[in-house]
Amino acid sequence: MSLKIGIVGCGKIADGHVEEIQKVPELARVVGVCDREPIMAEQIAMRYGLDYHTNDVERLLAERKPDVLHITTPPGSHLPLAKLAIDAGCHVYVEKPMTLSLADTKELVAHAEKAKKKLTIGYTYLFDPPALEMRDLIAGGALGDIVHVESFYGYNLSGAYGSAILGDPSHWVLQLPGQLLHNNIDHLLNKTLEFLEDDEPRITAHGFVRRTQRFGDARDAMLDELRLLIHDRSGSGPTVYGTFSSHIRPAAHFARVYGSKNTAHVDYIARTVTLESSGSLPSAIGRLVPAFEMAAKFAKAGARNVGKFARSDFHFFSGLSYLIRAYYRSILDDSPPPISHRDIIRASAMLDSIFSQLKDAQSKAGGSR
Amino acid sequence: MKILVTGCSGFLGVPTVERLLAHGERDLRCFLRPGSKRDRLEAVLRRYPDAKVERFVGSLGSPQSAAEAVEGCDVVYHLAAALSGAPADMFLNTVVTTRHLLDAVRAQKKPPKIVHCSSFGVYGVAQLPRGAMVDESTPFEPHPERRDPYSQAKLRQEALVWEYARQYAIPTVVLRPGVIYGPGGGAFSTRVGLNLFGLFLHLGGKNLLPITYVDNCAEAIAVAGRSPAAEGQAFNVVDDDLVTASRWLELYRKRVKRIPTVRIPYAGLTVMSELVARYHKYSKGQLPAVFTRYKSATTWGGNRFDNTKLKSLGWRPIVSTEDGLSRAFEDLKARTALAS
Repeated sequence: MSLKIGIVGCGKIADGHVEEIQKVPELARVVGVCDREPIMAEQIAMRYGLDYHTNDVERLLAERKPDVLHITTPPGSHLPLAKLAIDAGCHVYVEKPMTLSLADTKELVAHAEKAKKKLTIGYTYLFDPPALEMRDLIAGGALGDIVHVESFYGYNLSGAYGSAILGDPSHWVLQLPGQLLHNNIDHLLNKTLEFLEDDEPRITAHGFVRRTQRFGDARDAMLDELRLLIHDRSGSGPTVYGTFSSHIRPAAHFARVYGSKNTAHVDYIARTVTLESSGSLPSAIGRLVPAFEMAAKFAKAGARNVGKFARSDFHFFSGLSYLIRAYYRSILDDSPPPISHRDIIRASAMLDSIFSQLKDAQSKAGGSR
Repeated sequence: MKILVTGCSGFLGVPTVERLLAHGERDLRCFLRPGSKRDRLEAVLRRYPDAKVERFVGSLGSPQSAAEAVEGCDVVYHLAAALSGAPADMFLNTVVTTRHLLDAVRAQKKPPKIVHCSSFGVYGVAQLPRGAMVDESTPFEPHPERRDPYSQAKLRQEALVWEYARQYAIPTVVLRPGVIYGPGGGAFSTRVGLNLFGLFLHLGGKNLLPITYVDNCAEAIAVAGRSPAAEGQAFNVVDDDLVTASRWLELYRKRVKRIPTVRIPYAGLTVMSELVARYHKYSKGQLPAVFTRYKSATTWGGNRFDNTKLKSLGWRPIVSTEDGLSRAFEDLKARTALAS
């Protein structure tokens, strides 16, 4: 059976969804796209040869009867659109962040579960090849007990998207409770979920504005740097550092997983996983050899990537491809979805905690931070 | 007569404002995006101290902003468009913004005239034989899905302008410039070739380039915009004395910088395009289909270009091609020296 897929929200990320869905015709096909701006719906239909587009999501649901609705709109519309789709009998894939608050996410998850529908969220990096490789290493015991994790997400605010946000004081990103951070730090937080047990882990958050103040309006107060310390309340599990930075160059994207045996560096941009081990050689030799050992490990990781490229298995949206295939199979087999509803709620809880702390800090600082 | 100019801090916008002022217009509203660089525009405006110029800061992404900008204007020169970005962003920042502007125009009690800057990219030339003349009667692109996002967006944008013109009786003039060049512009149109990791693939060969010096293009926009005879029509904008892609590259190498180049003849390009397209399909998009036979035929198929219709309005190049090329390459040389 091939699932019928509808997509609402025809911005840049919708291209990735259509492309990846069109690669798995045995599992799914796009039956219609929708955007409240008719030109945006029309353009994606034209470019990908889709035979149905509309600016009315209710028409899409009624006329094309999709099995799954992908929601790739700005986050403020996720909750009402997802509930509408669930009520129309759809499973729902929602781009991150799931909703604007923990309460809304809990409401949406409850709504989906009551209707026996599966929800998923666009945490695609959890399924990028380096993340899968890291999980294999951990499962094989290569790292030992996990002691600490660093999750780093760099952002280029001077890029096209950052310029669009800062160029328009009414941009939707600026209307989110957590503004720029709200639209991005799911990528930082979702990688920590598998290392934490609590429903609501303890988080300490510090936000900063590092840009030159140049607008004289609310845009100047938009936080562009974030530092986090996260751990379970029992204190017995791993600790986590989180960094979101708009200014560090390169704008890296990595996780470091520190184990009692070895440490893994998981690079989501270079698509490499390198294992750092304790040296066993003595004195000066022991200081000479590690650089070559690391060079050899990077060369091996690079060679693996070349192999994947040669096999046409080195795509930009590898994680998205994996996620949608796993999600569709979970629908067809009625098996658990690739991202649990509990993890979706836990990520929302983290976002709420972080933005609440940052808001308090900004209030205390009189809005000067 | 109050004139709104969108995109007026850009490469073409600044000289267009200058030409409008030179033709005697004295009541301008310059639409500027927040944070846009205005040094060049301000330098032009300082030369016309008697002109009344309003700097309107806003975004055409906002219908309200568009409505406020259009309010009280008699003519709208619409030059703003996205030049790069993801396909969806190109449509958002070129077509959706234009619709906001057109909605604002039609909402006026007496809709102002629209002078719209389109592009040669709207023509469907892949089907034409080598050496065919491209004039204003050349059909629109019949297969936009096979074209690049810039052309797709510009095509939809112009179609939208004509839809509104017909539906709401908006007086409309459309200019279709070819390759706009000049100080501050790019070194190479894709019609000359592409830079591939430091190696320049020379693909244009002896094809004529539909170039127009930026001041000549601005002059065309001003002349057509001010001409009652131009209403309801479209005009190609290309200069006289066009040069070939080979000549452009030769001048660049002589006057700006020697760069490693490889000449790929059209037959070779056709084979390469087919291979790239097949690999794109085979690898499920692992590398983008930069070349396809259709795109190659469109860009490097080789056409001739006609500016007779524009000249019938009284337009003449104000800068000769020889002077224009000298100025452009001098500027490129200065910028290259600065960068190194």
